Amino acid sequence: MKLTLTAALFALVLCAFTPFALAVDATFIIIAYGVARITPKEVAATLWPLLVLVIMTALLNMVFVQGGTVYFQLGILVVSEEGLLAAAFLGCRLLLLLLVAALLTLTTSTFAITEALEAVMRPLTMVHVPVHELAMMMGIALRFLPQFVAELAIIRRAQLSRAAELSFNPFKGGLSTLAALIVPLFTSAFRHSETLAFAMDARCYHGGEGRTRLHPFAFTWRDGVALAVIGSMTVCLVLADMW
Amino acid sequence: MSAPEERDQFVAFESVAFDYENGSTVFTDLDLTITAGEYVALLGGNGSGKSTIAKLIDALLQPQEGRVLVFGRDTRDGTATFYIRSNTGLVFQNPDDQLVASIIENEVAFGPENLGIDAHELRVRVEEALDAVGMRGFEHQETNALSGGQKQRVAIAGALAMRPAMMVFDEATAMLDPRGRRSLMRLIDELHHSGITVIMITHYMDEAARAQRVVVLEGSDAGAQVALDGTPDAVLARAEELRALDLAVPFTCDLALCLRDAGIPVGPTVHEEELLQRLVALRDPHARELPQGPPASEPEGTSQQGAALIRFENVSYSYGEPATKKARRRHKTPESADLPEKAWGIEPGSSFALHDVELAIDHHEMVGLAGHTGSGKSTLLQHMNGLLHPRSGRVLLDGHDLADRTVARDARRHVGLVFQYPEHQLFAATVYDDVAFGPRNLGLAPEEVDAAVRRALDQVNLDPDRFAARSPFELSGGQQRKAALAGVLAMDPQLLVLDEPAAGLDPRTRQEFLALVKELHASGLTVVMASHSMEDLARLCDRVVVLDKGRIVLAGAPQTVFEDPERLRRIGLAQPAPLAMAQRLRAQGFVLPSRLYTVDSLAAALAPQLAADAAAVPAKD
Repeated sequence: MKLTLTAALFALVLCAFTPFALAVDATFIIIAYGVARITPKEVAATLWPLLVLVIMTALLNMVFVQGGTVYFQLGILVVSEEGLLAAAFLGCRLLLLLLVAALLTLTTSTFAITEALEAVMRPLTMVHVPVHELAMMMGIALRFLPQFVAELAIIRRAQLSRAAELSFNPFKGGLSTLAALIVPLFTSAFRHSETLAFAMDARCYHGGEGRTRLHPFAFTWRDGVALAVIGSMTVCLVLADMW
Repeated sequence: MSAPEERDQFVAFESVAFDYENGSTVFTDLDLTITAGEYVALLGGNGSGKSTIAKLIDALLQPQEGRVLVFGRDTRDGTATFYIRSNTGLVFQNPDDQLVASIIENEVAFGPENLGIDAHELRVRVEEALDAVGMRGFEHQETNALSGGQKQRVAIAGALAMRPAMMVFDEATAMLDPRGRRSLMRLIDELHHSGITVIMITHYMDEAARAQRVVVLEGSDAGAQVALDGTPDAVLARAEELRALDLAVPFTCDLALCLRDAGIPVGPTVHEEELLQRLVALRDPHARELPQGPPASEPEGTSQQGAALIRFENVSYSYGEPATKKARRRHKTPESADLPEKAWGIEPGSSFALHDVELAIDHHEMVGLAGHTGSGKSTLLQHMNGLLHPRSGRVLLDGHDLADRTVARDARRHVGLVFQYPEHQLFAATVYDDVAFGPRNLGLAPEEVDAAVRRALDQVNLDPDRFAARSPFELSGGQQRKAALAGVLAMDPQLLVLDEPAAGLDPRTRQEFLALVKELHASGLTVVMASHSMEDLARLCDRVVVLDKGRIVLAGAPQTVFEDPERLRRIGLAQPAPLAMAQRLRAQGFVLPSRLYTVDSLAAALAPQLAADAAAVPAKD
């Protein structure tokens, strides 16, 4: 449910063509954050690394979109009024999209997202897409990701202790250094996967057939409220776009 | 599906033959039965096929010949597979690779979900299972944030949620620290009390001693066989045979055997209290007062200013971003960080703070580092070659501050740091290339690299001609660890720093590896070794440093450090077993000089005070 609504929010942000519509979007998203009781600090921490992407996109737009008063010129780089507007607009739009995505990841466990994805993709099983298996794989990948990060950190320190230069310079033996990190990580992954397969078998795993859920999907009044809010947001947006 | 009946034969191996696809034969003709309600320990050295038994029981593997009946059903019968698996809980060795889900409640529900249990019943079972392992309140925690011991508990809960009649533990405690191991063993005892049949596969005699029945497997090229089968006392007392099977004999049996060698007929037992009683009964009242043994030479507790190879001056360290903060970011509820964690030890490898550490290590010393998981041992070790830098204070290597980048670079060469499970860092196609990694990084000429590799392989007793060209991944566990050690020795360090060098090895390989470390020290290397085994530290080290919560709380010669049992207990450590026994015997009136004991030296001091003539003493047993 949450996943569908997030997708709807995504679409809405993409549909906002005027600054005013964007502002409407922003208001709703900020309210959503308020409801979820997420502090700006947490948001900043999550989005910080992605801001580079936002700024890059904005800068590119600034250069490529031309028109209006030219403020600044350096060789072929021309910064014009429309360019600046486009940059600001797209930058904000991207930021809002990221905020929507962060809203989902900050409020929802990875396992729940995986389950939701499986539910949304369920119709695809009709055309023989192994939806359950894909979702299971994603869940396991998410489960092992932090573990591999930790293991990689230990391997890195161990190889540093053996005077490894971790510069990744391919001309200075960087490749063999890379192997010194990657090979142990992969052997570890194989080792884990072998036992994991046994452990899953031992617990009667046999694919998605006949499996039940600890958290079956249920439509609660909260979902109703969220749906209504998004509906009203759509209306506002349509109005704003027409304006 | 009805639950298996009580009083049934739960497991029956009937002339089972099994070999792996790679051609290694495990069993040719194995018979074994286990009845409902039993608590069986399966003991065996490496290659005795004990882990294969677990998989054969759970229908994860099928025998090539003979049959395995579980709850009366043949494991080769495909229709019985789920019946067998759902009634058998299986817990593996490594806490890190048997959990499927990121969130604990999903993890626990995984098994019953596969059985098609409805959502309401699932909820009940998850709560019940978490209750049974003492982890209620952790439902929404991430499995990743748990310690090894906690992960094993969650794995057990996952099995319990299927309401099994039988639990199989495949060396489930092998990778835990002593604290995690003790608490897990208590849990296993409780599960047996609640009516679950328990099969525990282990290397450790002290764990086997808790069971009602001990089965010892003996591996051989012609297929493993049951070598001994009986009550713990009957089996574990046959220590000579056990020793021949590469199994570590429990301390009490070892002492009894040493005394027997000295002509004192004392029956081996696995219970410390009982041995004490037997020894008291054998006490010779006419024993002459013993001349005091030569006072143990006490190495200097502290070293002279300036002479030290490595010196910590007032070193404090704190981790930049606490691990909990990262975890919290992904959490719905911030209060999750306040849950009662850390009760069962903490994840190895993570960094912990240090406070005002003052420590000097002299040339050619062998220093032991004790402290339970999370006390800051690993953090301290990583300061020694400049991987970590103190937030305040200085680390001096040969008088030079490691904060200086050139000094730190040199330190990588002069200080060889061997991480826990160093074989997990092997990567090259051949042992030679792997060992050569360090010297090549140092920019040595090819012939120098060659000399360094050969010397290092010689040092760890791996014949360069036999091993250099082989892939490190073909080697046995013990050989892999030696190869990884060679990779550090090849850089010709002055100081060898080892973090839990013997962790996860079976008893014989463990003794071999520690003997190797001792040899390296004797050949002139300065050695710093962190370990959970107080016996190893007491036996091998000149000096022991005890860390607790990032502070040095005790330091000095082993006999002074390990003198006070109460003080050690307060920081979660125990005395080495021979020393503890010596103190108890002294309290019973034996005359034992206060010094550090090994099993041999304790037996030697004790023998003259015991009546060799058993007839003169009323037999206790």
